[in-house]
Amino acid sequence: MENNKWIGFYTILKREIGRFLTLYRQTIMPSIITAALFLFIFGYALGSRIQEIKGVPYMHFILPGLAMMAVINNAYSNTASSLFQAKQLKFLEDILIAPISATQAALAYILGGATRGFINGAIILLMGVIVFHIHLYSITITLLLMAIVSVAFSATGLIFGIKAENFDQVMVLVTFLITPLVYVGGVFYSIDMLPPILRGASMFNPLYYMVNGLRYGVLGTYDTAPVGSILMAVVITLVSFSIGVFLFYKGWKIKA
Amino acid sequence: MTPDYNAPAIKIQGLEKWYDDFQALKGIDLEIKQGEFYGLLGPNGAGKSTTIHILTGLANFSNGDVRVFGRDVVSDFRFTRSRIGLAAQEFNFDRFFNIEKLLTLQGGYFGLSKDKAAQRAEELLKQFGLIEKRNQNSTKLSGGMKRRLQIAKALVHQPEVLILDEPTAGVDVELRHMLWDYLRELNSEGVTILLTTHYIEEAEQLCNKVSIINHGEIIAEGKPKQLMEDMGTGCVDLHFNDVVSEVPEVFRNYNAELEDNHIRLRVQKPAKELQKIMNKLNSTDLGLYEVRIRESSLEDVFMQLTGSSMAEEAVNGKQ
Repeated sequence: MENNKWIGFYTILKREIGRFLTLYRQTIMPSIITAALFLFIFGYALGSRIQEIKGVPYMHFILPGLAMMAVINNAYSNTASSLFQAKQLKFLEDILIAPISATQAALAYILGGATRGFINGAIILLMGVIVFHIHLYSITITLLLMAIVSVAFSATGLIFGIKAENFDQVMVLVTFLITPLVYVGGVFYSIDMLPPILRGASMFNPLYYMVNGLRYGVLGTYDTAPVGSILMAVVITLVSFSIGVFLFYKGWKIKA
Repeated sequence: MTPDYNAPAIKIQGLEKWYDDFQALKGIDLEIKQGEFYGLLGPNGAGKSTTIHILTGLANFSNGDVRVFGRDVVSDFRFTRSRIGLAAQEFNFDRFFNIEKLLTLQGGYFGLSKDKAAQRAEELLKQFGLIEKRNQNSTKLSGGMKRRLQIAKALVHQPEVLILDEPTAGVDVELRHMLWDYLRELNSEGVTILLTTHYIEEAEQLCNKVSIINHGEIIAEGKPKQLMEDMGTGCVDLHFNDVVSEVPEVFRNYNAELEDNHIRLRVQKPAKELQKIMNKLNSTDLGLYEVRIRESSLEDVFMQLTGSSMAEEAVNGKQ
């Protein structure tokens, strides 16, 4: 019997990453195709008729938002659906009966999903760098923010994966909350272009801070200071992670 | 870390489990010694699976003390879970990987190094006749193969205690005997085995100790033979040459039934009682044609205690 108590954790993490890499047609290609289409339609075809925003071409302006949208969707979806499937098909039991703590199991699932979110965002940004010759303003802030946001939404996915009773419930948060909030979170416009009342409302949209923060990292331009974006992501991470670990520990909906 | 070889493999004291205001386990006490082959029998919903789930970490419990090799299953879960292998009743395979990878992952969850896990996966695939299917997904396997894979999965980390929940449910006779032989072999190598089963023959054949659990309580415990002798009722059937008009005086206290030329005597240990019965018969003038005896079975004990037969339970269990 070997004694390294982190082997179980690494095995779950490797399994989670292995799973989405095997399913790359569902887990990586879609958001890249979507981003490429948006860039082509709004950036290239219509972009020439849209003025520069905050001193950058429109195609450049929307790129960080598209990357952040991919990060959030993929990080959330991976953990939520993977955990839901493991629960539904009962092979989550393999992990529950193993000498792995609740914290380790939750963390491994979260990091697995976060990896998918991060990779999706990174590929889209890379596309911007290679195809549209965008020069990254701050690599550190860009990567840091993508990493934290990946973890934050992967942790949120964990909670909803545990909670969901069917596949509709897994995706309900994406359809009714995440996607709309990302779209109105300034992916395609600066909130300065909005009337004051909508601008004020945007300040209550947490995803606005994520999009805006990444725009700062990539382009060096922002509506609000990027520190707020990072803080917001850290808060979401801590809250979701704590709830996720607690649910795993208590076995809510996963233990009898 | 080596287990405390003075402690029982499993020791449960005063185990209670509540689901809201329904009490599923009402103070279970159970001790399984190292090396025992132990059967847990009981009707559906009696608390067998709940007990197993608590031992393995699949369920929480409300009150009591649950120990594996003397260590607490909650505070010392890494120790206890490393020592237990569980073959659940329902197949639960990771469908995203082939069966070899699935076994390797299972080894990893239990802390085996990559090489060791791969080696164990290969050994088990060979042992269970699945090596040719190593690259297949579990969904492509036949029912019998899935059952073997389910047991193989429980053995990847070479557990000292193997828990099987209905290991031969829905399995054909040939495979059942093959699995029995394999379980006997494991047990002879020192693996403590706890199983639940609906097949009375399985418990009689394999287990050196059984408990019968009903409504969340253990209502009988002992060696199968002892239980049958203590609680079961066998019978001695006496067939006569001629129709008998009434039960002879000497058999009155045997709870006797009379039908034409046949008298059935209820006795706990028919073989032991036979000589006495024959002596008594000699004192009558009845002409004996044939004697048949039926020994008590675990089935009788089970029926007597729970009010339903194991066969009925097996059918209900599949619904």
